Amino acid sequence: MATFVSPPASTTATQPTGLKPTVIEKEKVDYLNLPCPIPYEEIHREAFMSLKPELFEGLRFDFTKGLNPKFALSHSVLMGPTEIPSQSPETIKIPTAHYEFGANYLDPKLMLVGRIMTDGRLNARIKCDLSENLILKSSAQLTNEPHMSNVMASFDYKGKDYRSQFQLGSGALFGASYIQSVTPNVSLGGEVFWTGQHRKSGIGYGARYNNDKMVATGQVASTGMVLLSYVQKVSEKVSLASEFVYNHMSKDVTATFGYDYILRQCRLRGKIDSNGCVGALLEERLNLGLNFILSAEIDHRKKDYKFGFGMTVGE
Amino acid sequence: MSTRVALKAKGGKSNRNKASAAAAGEEDGPSTVKIVKDWTNWGLHKAKVVAHYGFIPLIIVIGMNSEPKPSWAQLLTPV
Repeated sequence: MATFVSPPASTTATQPTGLKPTVIEKEKVDYLNLPCPIPYEEIHREAFMSLKPELFEGLRFDFTKGLNPKFALSHSVLMGPTEIPSQSPETIKIPTAHYEFGANYLDPKLMLVGRIMTDGRLNARIKCDLSENLILKSSAQLTNEPHMSNVMASFDYKGKDYRSQFQLGSGALFGASYIQSVTPNVSLGGEVFWTGQHRKSGIGYGARYNNDKMVATGQVASTGMVLLSYVQKVSEKVSLASEFVYNHMSKDVTATFGYDYILRQCRLRGKIDSNGCVGALLEERLNLGLNFILSAEIDHRKKDYKFGFGMTVGE
Repeated sequence: MSTRVALKAKGGKSNRNKASAAAAGEEDGPSTVKIVKDWTNWGLHKAKVVAHYGFIPLIIVIGMNSEPKPSWAQLLTPV
């Protein structure tokens, strides 16, 4: 990656016409001033945004009421069949309906998000800037049933051109990750984790290349997982994404292709899978603060058809 | 976290019990490791109950005291 430095001006007069410096316009890369990379867990962010939309089944109604620029309450109703994990190949669905109440407080330095459901499950997230570079993030799911709750806390340190993170979780989970910008477009990172409960440990590496038009990422882990993704931003409104997941231990291979259209009045995301699964999510803006959502997921292999519709009121 | 403490302390406690049974009463009945393990478990359970019931009220209290102060009526009415 050595840059081509143009010859000094005094010699241009004597320079033969056949020899021209080819990359005179390229700026010299300042390796001491690289941009800060994105966090290691968000390395596949663009691909996940396009390929993993929040598909749902049934009716969904979300109402967010802002009392303050910083403080908002939200009410959410979800009615529909939910899948329960079953050993047999056919999917078992149970119709459920629940109401969720939530409160958000967003400050530049402190973010608190809490959601509580009618069955007593609390979903809490805290993000606190302890100093300019150190961030504490914590998320918890608390339930009334014993031994079903879990908490995860992480300390993120943001350096000049690197980020490092240390994670603690319930069930004796420890993790650490580090990502470093190597050139203005490439960043490399790695992570390790250790669980006490299942007595497992693992190590993984990730790499990300991005420029204005595309993002390519790759990740390997000692659990046998290989994940490659490529996102191409075709224009301001359209981006196409593809992803390839390979699990060496379970010999599972999945390839996914998807698109993301961000138009003035709507956002349409769709994907097609090598497992025979086709999905799409449409969010249409009817008015200021009023969104209409349609979701569809058709799994041809398992013959599982999910359709959902909903409305979101408020920001 | 309680699982990790339990795994470590169980090994320590069984060793201690064997040692104390063999050595015929070198230390008192409830060992210190067991006491620490019980107190941390009790503390974690109480903290979980407090977080479960108190997190959303905490957010509401912090939000109602932030500027510009919203009124209580706005909290309850839908619009």
